[in-house]
Amino acid sequence: MALLEIDHVSKRFGGLRAIHDVAFAIEENEIAFIVGPNGAGKTTLFNLITGVFHPDEGNIRFQGHDITHISPNHAARLGIGRTFQLVKPLRNLTVLENVMLGAFLHTSSPSKAAEQAREVLRYLQMEKAMHFTASGLPVAMLKRLEIARALATRPRLILLDEVVSGLSTAEALALAEILKRLPEWGVAAVGGVEHVMQVVMSIAHRVVVLDHGTQIAEGKPQDVVRTPAVIEAYLGTKYKELGL
Amino acid sequence: MDVYAALQAVINGLLTGALYALVGMGLALIFGVMRIVNFAHGAFMMLGMYATYVLFTRSNISPYLLFIVAGVVLFGIGYAIYFALLRPIHGQSDFMQILLTLGIGLIATDGVLLIFGADYHQINIPLLGENFHLGSHISVNAPWVVSFGIAVVLAVALYLFVMRTMIGRAARAIAQNRYAAPLMGINVFRVQAISFAIGIAAAGMAGGLLLPVFYIYPQVGDQFTLKAFVMVVLGGMESIVGAALAGLVLGVVESLTSLYWGNEWALAVDFVIFLLVLSLKPSGIFGSQKA
Amino acid sequence: MKRSHLIVAFVVFVLSLLLPLVVETGYALQILFRIYLFAALGLAWNLVGGYAGQLSLGHAAYFGAGAYGLALFSGKLGVSPWLALLMGVVVALACALLIGGVSFRLRGPYFVLATIAFAEVLRLVAKNLPAVTGGDVGVQVPTLFHGNVNRAFYWAAVMLTALAFATTVAISRARFGYYLMAIREDEDTALSVGIGAARTKLVALLVSSALTALAGALYGSLFLYIVPDQLLSIDVSNEIAIVAMLGGAGTVLGPIVGSVVLESASEIFKNVFKEAHLLIYGVLLVLVVLFLPEGIVGTLTALVRRRAMFGGIKAGAKGVAAD
Repeated sequence: MALLEIDHVSKRFGGLRAIHDVAFAIEENEIAFIVGPNGAGKTTLFNLITGVFHPDEGNIRFQGHDITHISPNHAARLGIGRTFQLVKPLRNLTVLENVMLGAFLHTSSPSKAAEQAREVLRYLQMEKAMHFTASGLPVAMLKRLEIARALATRPRLILLDEVVSGLSTAEALALAEILKRLPEWGVAAVGGVEHVMQVVMSIAHRVVVLDHGTQIAEGKPQDVVRTPAVIEAYLGTKYKELGL
Repeated sequence: MDVYAALQAVINGLLTGALYALVGMGLALIFGVMRIVNFAHGAFMMLGMYATYVLFTRSNISPYLLFIVAGVVLFGIGYAIYFALLRPIHGQSDFMQILLTLGIGLIATDGVLLIFGADYHQINIPLLGENFHLGSHISVNAPWVVSFGIAVVLAVALYLFVMRTMIGRAARAIAQNRYAAPLMGINVFRVQAISFAIGIAAAGMAGGLLLPVFYIYPQVGDQFTLKAFVMVVLGGMESIVGAALAGLVLGVVESLTSLYWGNEWALAVDFVIFLLVLSLKPSGIFGSQKA
Repeated sequence: MKRSHLIVAFVVFVLSLLLPLVVETGYALQILFRIYLFAALGLAWNLVGGYAGQLSLGHAAYFGAGAYGLALFSGKLGVSPWLALLMGVVVALACALLIGGVSFRLRGPYFVLATIAFAEVLRLVAKNLPAVTGGDVGVQVPTLFHGNVNRAFYWAAVMLTALAFATTVAISRARFGYYLMAIREDEDTALSVGIGAARTKLVALLVSSALTALAGALYGSLFLYIVPDQLLSIDVSNEIAIVAMLGGAGTVLGPIVGSVVLESASEIFKNVFKEAHLLIYGVLLVLVVLFLPEGIVGTLTALVRRRAMFGGIKAGAKGVAAD
């Protein structure tokens, strides 16, 4: 039984077909990436998985349970963590307090939550910033904070929406090294990216490519990159014909 | 069941509703289009009433001409308030805006109370004695008809302003995307100041038109603030036309409620409808946007 | 809240209880009653408005429910005053369930408008059902205390403030408090970490409404007679919110400071301007929003924190320069 199954899911917004007949599965401890340009439907897919919206067609299953119509807080409690593309920190709270909110999912004691939060922050190399207020942090740190907060909920699956966008290549690769170790923690990850392909190629077990809401390829990174449809979407028809 | 009594109530309701509509349209422009939560809207209507009252008692010119002056005065006040008080808190939360405008409303209401006293006043114009008769069962008091006519003209003018003029379009553009708007060359603050001032002026003029047929006292505006929000929600956000129609609906509903249940329940019915719409169809009866 | 702060709070509490030994005039005790009552009201409101960030301008509904509950259950059903008081609190809780259930689904200004609308409906119902509520004329409220009434009610107000204060401290240190703040900062983020936002807000409102209802009953019982336009008016709701905002919403001391400042200013203003004392509320509100958005306590706390930080940096720089 796969950890997450997207079973022929479609979603429209008025006349716009945001997601159309997308189907793939994620296994436990796997790192997968959903690749596609802005507007391809990555964020919509994440919103569907976490229950912010509900699909018009199709089903979503998590650990065998049908989660097609759940609410966002229920999804979190089932073990799905997420980060937001446009970071949503709790601005007037400190970094530590932000992450504690995630840890509170499994403990009601503020001291235990603080302890767990510190551990997560250490893993993400953020302990020095623990007592800074979130509103004063730069984007790169805020992105790490998003991940820390989601990790503190001890998810089985974490959804990372555009987690490397806005970072320099060096910062992105450094983050990728950290993400690569998530399976050690028993966490599977699905990231959404637009273009930082080095990150994708270096750590992904599986890649799904979306183009205007439809799925044009799915599989191991090396195979997907050679798929003609993908080459056409990214580089244009000319390159596909050249067979590159 | 007296059909004529009901019909009379409906007609009275429409006449009152036109003035409600003017107040509501002003708020629809300010809140719906500009997302400024103006809890002082009714207070500005009250200021318009008092401005017209003062001028009338000094000059004896008809309120149906003086209301224009009230409009101009309130335009100035609105513009000044936007620049002095609203602009500084531009980026801040709705919470702060609500509290600020609430404070402004309190200052206006109690300021007027200090200056003019708490007494209820009423003016007398010759037109009050005239009545139009439709058949033998329905009659309408002349001032209401005049104010209805003027309100309709102003409402159309406001609609055209919002929909057809550059400034109106700019205001709507800002509401849709406040980051892109300046990139299109729109001077956001100036457009918002003017739009706000026009919304306030509309309320002020409604006050002037209301003067002949209403008691004037400092707290008269309070119920209008709430009614204006009811209209804006009922009419669907951003919809000037929706707010106008909602104003008419509100007038008729209140009138019929007064007829069958008594005056006291009219305001309560307004709120119950408001709460029902908010819970069941937040996008309003005429609207299509999410609340 | 550090241990030392709590000790200070306890000392203040004891001193407050001892105050009537020094202050004996009915007039002074009534003003103090009002200050403490609104401190308690501000603290109660703060749970919903400050910590959870939900601007309720309809708290008069619970204030009135407490007072009318006390008056009507004892007057019409012959129940003993203290039992009627409890029943009034239950009524307020029921109102909170209804109001919260509907309003918390709404965001931003719609939430605020809904809270106002509910309180207004309650006021109008109280006005228009004279058979039940006495209508505009009002209804009698039994006295909860006998003997030196002013002193007794003052003590009751101090106790209520202490209760509200203790509740606030307990909440702010527990997970529940953190959840409220998360909802205030970003409700979507709160949902994404598994917080049941709707239920959390409702619980905060239930606690808030119960405390508010107790205050309303005390108020009604001291003055022995209540009318809808006094107990259920928007002015009451506004005053409660302003007390908390002025002092500092989201802080523990804020509402207490806010009440002291606002009620004192109001009393002074009343003697000068008699009818127009709401003017001071409006002015303070505008000043707070423009210049002190964190309230008095919030702003002072931020200043102290900044001083400490800069003091540290300066000392560090001096140290470096001396090397």
